[in-house]
Amino acid sequence: MSGAVGREAVFPTRQSLGLMKNKLKGAEIGHSLLKRKSEALTKRFRDITRRIDEAKQKMGRVMQIAAFSLAEVSYAVGGDIGYQIQESAKQARFRVRTKQENISGVLLPTFESYTEEGVNDFGLTGLGKGGQQIQRCRETYARAVETLVELASLQTAFLILDEVIKVVNRRVNAIEHVIIPRTENTIKYINSELDELDREEFYRLKKVSGKKKRDVAAADAEILAARRKAEEEQAANPKAPAATATAIFAEEETADVLGEQEDNDVIF
Amino acid sequence: MEGLFFNVNGGYVEGIVRGYRNSLLSGQNYSNLTQCETIDDVKLQLGPSYGDFLASLSPNPSTSDLASRMTDKLVAEFKYLIAQATGSSAKFLEYMTYGYMIDNIALLITGTLHERDTRELLERCHPLGWFETLPVLCVATNIEELYNSVLIETPLAAYFKGSLSHQDLDELNIEIVRNTLYKNYLEDFYNFINTHPDFSGTPTQDVMAEILQFEADRRSINITLNSFGTELSKLERRKLYPEFGKLYPEGSLMLSRAEDVEGVALAVSAVADYKAFFDAVGLSQGGGGLGGMGGGPADGKSLEDLFYQKEMDLSKLVFTRQFTPAVVYAWMKLKEQEIRNVTWISECIAQNQKERIGNFISVF
Repeated sequence: MSGAVGREAVFPTRQSLGLMKNKLKGAEIGHSLLKRKSEALTKRFRDITRRIDEAKQKMGRVMQIAAFSLAEVSYAVGGDIGYQIQESAKQARFRVRTKQENISGVLLPTFESYTEEGVNDFGLTGLGKGGQQIQRCRETYARAVETLVELASLQTAFLILDEVIKVVNRRVNAIEHVIIPRTENTIKYINSELDELDREEFYRLKKVSGKKKRDVAAADAEILAARRKAEEEQAANPKAPAATATAIFAEEETADVLGEQEDNDVIF
Repeated sequence: MEGLFFNVNGGYVEGIVRGYRNSLLSGQNYSNLTQCETIDDVKLQLGPSYGDFLASLSPNPSTSDLASRMTDKLVAEFKYLIAQATGSSAKFLEYMTYGYMIDNIALLITGTLHERDTRELLERCHPLGWFETLPVLCVATNIEELYNSVLIETPLAAYFKGSLSHQDLDELNIEIVRNTLYKNYLEDFYNFINTHPDFSGTPTQDVMAEILQFEADRRSINITLNSFGTELSKLERRKLYPEFGKLYPEGSLMLSRAEDVEGVALAVSAVADYKAFFDAVGLSQGGGGLGGMGGGPADGKSLEDLFYQKEMDLSKLVFTRQFTPAVVYAWMKLKEQEIRNVTWISECIAQNQKERIGNFISVF
C-alpha cells in the first residue's frame, strides 16, 4: 500500500522530519473531527429521510382530500369558478419565510409557512351559491400547501446534506487513505535516510580513527626507531637533541587531527 | 279555457320537451353509474341518453370533458326548442337564458377590469348565455366605454339601468354586481310571468311563480349565509335580496339584520319548508359548522343539497301541468342537475372516493 501512495518530495533532514511529524498529528486530529462530523450529518440525514417519507405520504392524503373538495365546489357552484378566483386574488394570503439552521457547520434553509389573516380576496366568490364550499375548499388547499412547504424544506435540506456528506466523506477517506500513509511514508523515508547517514558517519569515523591509530603506531615506531637510533648514535656519538625535537613535533600533529574530528561531529 | 289554443303555438315545443324528459336518467341508471369502476364505464352507461355527444370523447376522458359534452347536448336541445318557439313562449325561453348572460357579462367585466384579452374569455362563456352583441363587449377597453356604449345594447341593459352606474362596475366587487343583476333579473322574470296576458291566470303563472319565489328565497338565504365574515355590509346585503318570494318582506328584513346562522334560522322560521331544512341540517340549534356536503350532521346533506332537492321536486311537479312553457324551464333545471350528478359520480370514481358517491340528487 505504502508503495502506491509514494512520499512527499522533501530533503531528508531533521527539520523536515519534525514538520512531517506535526503534519501527521494534524491529519489524525482532522480525521477524527471529520469522522465525527460525517456521523452527525448522517444521523441528521437519516432523520430527514424518514421525515420526507412521512411528509410524502401525508401529502398524498391531503392532496386527495383537497382535490375532492374542489369536486364538491364544482358540484355546488355548477360551473367553473377558476377564472374569477384568479382575477380576484390580488395579495398572497399564504406566505413562506425562510430561516437558516446550523447543523455541524452546514447551513440548511428551512421554510416556514404562515397565513396573512387580513387578506381575504375572494371572500365574496360564490355569494349566490356555493360560497361555503369554496371557503372550505380554500382551507383544505391551504393545508395541502402547508404540507408542500414542509416537504420542500425537507427536500432542500436533503439535497444540501447529501452534497455535504459526500464532500466530508471524501475528505475523511482522503485523509485516511492518502495523506496519513503518505506522511508516514515520508517519515519512514526520512528516518531511514538519517539512519543511513548515521551509519556512514560512524563508518567514516571508525575508518578515520583506524587510520589514525595506524598513523600513530607508525609514528611511534618511527620515534622508537629514531630514539633507538639516537641512543645508538648517542652511544656512538653524543649529539642527540635534534632527534628529540623531531619526535615532539610529530606528537603535536596527532593532537591536531583529533581536534578536527571533534569539530566534524558537532556539525552533524 | 287557457288550454284551448295553447297547442296552436306551443304544442310542438311542449311535446318535444316531454320527450326530452323521458331521456333523463332514472334512479336505475344512477345506481348503474355508481357501480362503475372507470370513467369509460360511466361513458358506456350514459350511451343511451348521450350517445352522439360522447362518441368523440377520448378513452378515459376527464370529468370536465364529460361534463362539457353533456352541456353541449343540453345546449343543442335548448337551441332547437328556442328556434321552434314563437310568441310569448319564445319570450319565456329568452328569459331563461338571461341568467346565463349575467354570468357571461360578469366574466367579461372581470376581464375588462383586469385588462385581460377578453377574446380568450369568449370561449369560457356559457353557450346558453350567448347573444349576438356579446363579442362586441370585447371591443371595449375600459370600463366606462363598456358601460356607456356596449352594455346598453345588450338584453340586460334594463337590469343595469337604475341600480348600477359605471363607477359601480369599477368599485364594487364583481360578485355584488352579479348578484344585483340577478336580483333585477329575477324580479323582472317574476313580473313577466305574472303580468303578461298570455301567462297570467294560466298554469304557467302558478308553477313559475312558485319556482321563482323559491329561487329568490334561496338566493337571499345563501347570500346572507355566505356574507358572514366578509366585508359585505348589512345595507349592501339587503340590496341584493329579490323583492318577492315567501320571505318578502318580513323575512327579508330579518335576514338583512341577521348576524349569525341562528339569526337566519329565525328569519326563515315563518316558512315551514325552510324551517324544516334548517332543522334537518341542525343549524337552527346553532349546532355544527355551516356544513358543506358531508360536513352537515344530517346524513351528509347540507343546506345547499336540500335546496337543490327542493328545486328538483318543484321541477318534477311542473310536469304534472299541461299547456305551459314552464316545462322547458323545469326540464332545463333537471338536466343541469343531472349533469352535476354525473360529474359528481365520475369525480368520485376518478378520485376513488366511493364512500360519498351516493351524494347526488336523483329525481325520477
